[in-house]
Amino acid sequence: MTGKLLEIINTVRNNKGLPPVAELMEAQDLRAELGFDSLDLAELTVRIEKETGIDIFADSFVLTVGEILAKLGKQ
Amino acid sequence: MTDKLFLHDHKSGNSYPYSLLLQDVNSGGLLNRYCLKQDLYNIFLTLVIAAVNEAGIVLLDSGFTDAELQQLNIKQDDLSEQIRLNATRIASTEELLQAVRTHTDWELTLYTSGTTGVPKRITHQLASLIRAVKTDNRHRDDVWGFAYNPTHMAGLQVFFQALLNGNSIINLFEADRETVISCIRDYGITHISATPTFYRMLLPLDDTFPTVKSLTSGGEKFDPGLFAQLGKSFPNARLRNIYASTEAGSILSAGDDAFSILDDSMCRIQDGELLVNNALLGASEELPLDADGWYATGDLVEVVSENPLRFRFLSRKNEMVNVGGYKVNPYETEQALQSHPAVKQAYVYGKASSVLGNILLADVITTQPLSEKDLRDFLAPLLQPYKIPRVINFVTSIELTRSGKLKRT
Repeated sequence: MTGKLLEIINTVRNNKGLPPVAELMEAQDLRAELGFDSLDLAELTVRIEKETGIDIFADSFVLTVGEILAKLGKQ
Repeated sequence: MTDKLFLHDHKSGNSYPYSLLLQDVNSGGLLNRYCLKQDLYNIFLTLVIAAVNEAGIVLLDSGFTDAELQQLNIKQDDLSEQIRLNATRIASTEELLQAVRTHTDWELTLYTSGTTGVPKRITHQLASLIRAVKTDNRHRDDVWGFAYNPTHMAGLQVFFQALLNGNSIINLFEADRETVISCIRDYGITHISATPTFYRMLLPLDDTFPTVKSLTSGGEKFDPGLFAQLGKSFPNARLRNIYASTEAGSILSAGDDAFSILDDSMCRIQDGELLVNNALLGASEELPLDADGWYATGDLVEVVSENPLRFRFLSRKNEMVNVGGYKVNPYETEQALQSHPAVKQAYVYGKASSVLGNILLADVITTQPLSEKDLRDFLAPLLQPYKIPRVINFVTSIELTRSGKLKRT
């Protein structure tokens, strides 16, 4: 799952003209470290939902990569 | 009073006292009739100077691309048009605010997304912009977190509420989460008015912010679950929900998602749609009215109780998609996509989003292979960022239009 998430995160980064990140770490902050604004987070959510059927922001807000992985149940 | 903070802008890191605002207003000189791509202080300064001098101006969204300005029929000559001002000798902040307040005929022109794809031009008098502004001693020490686009109606409402009370304004628009949190603490912000998307971007919040007395939600459909969460971190805040539009300014306010109509000569509901009386509207040649002078807002509502009448907003009647508080006309985005030589057909639509309310998506048929990034890069100089689809699907057929009719290819 981490590999798939890395791919999706890099797609969102590429679409906004940012270079890819080499690896994901659980503590990485989506906003402060990966540079995602609300439009990017919405895009990330749709792309993850497309792959997994899970809306990562459905019931609470996630801050970090680790929290996404936890929601996807594949730590 | 003269050294009271007028504005702190996180983008520049600068703070501007009221004494500086007063000095800049008094200096006279030339004022651009079209206000475009200015920083927040200069937008606010332009508004104050224009109001004091009763100089009608046009406020343009700082995100407008050159292509969008062309669509609005605004030319380079217009953008360089200047108004000569007489030097004023306003002696104090109180006098300055009084000079703004009394010029109720002063006119400000804005553009708002139109249902036809070209934004509508709307001219408001100050009187209608400040209809909902409350000024009295209780508001004297309010500190406003400014979280809306300053060139949009909601931002103007907050600006005049803060200005006419001589309040400090702390810019939170496009600030990241950490900046917002530190600004609330450092400046003791008491009032925030923002979209649900802005509040969602603050979550999760572990801390409490006791200085905040009022949180207002507007621009998007109210999110009761979100406000329940915010209530924990803002224990002293009164939560309010407002309904405002570029066409009419601030119209309704409520403590939750159910609104009441206080004056039925101004607002009414017909066939499940909110209608607003002409008397509330800004002047525009592009607002269709019925024979009795009512404007159909396109906002569909459901009645919660009949007597007294209470209702809640459901959705939009037309195709407009509300993306994080910004209204997007999907036809405008389709036209921009279809101006790409390799795009044969495009269908743009909204999808419910737990982050933005709605996110914009597109299905496109192309005559040669393209990447999503290719199309995003193509759209970037043509459209404001929120009008650009965030996921683009490459498909071989687009069968239906939004109204269910077969689309001609």
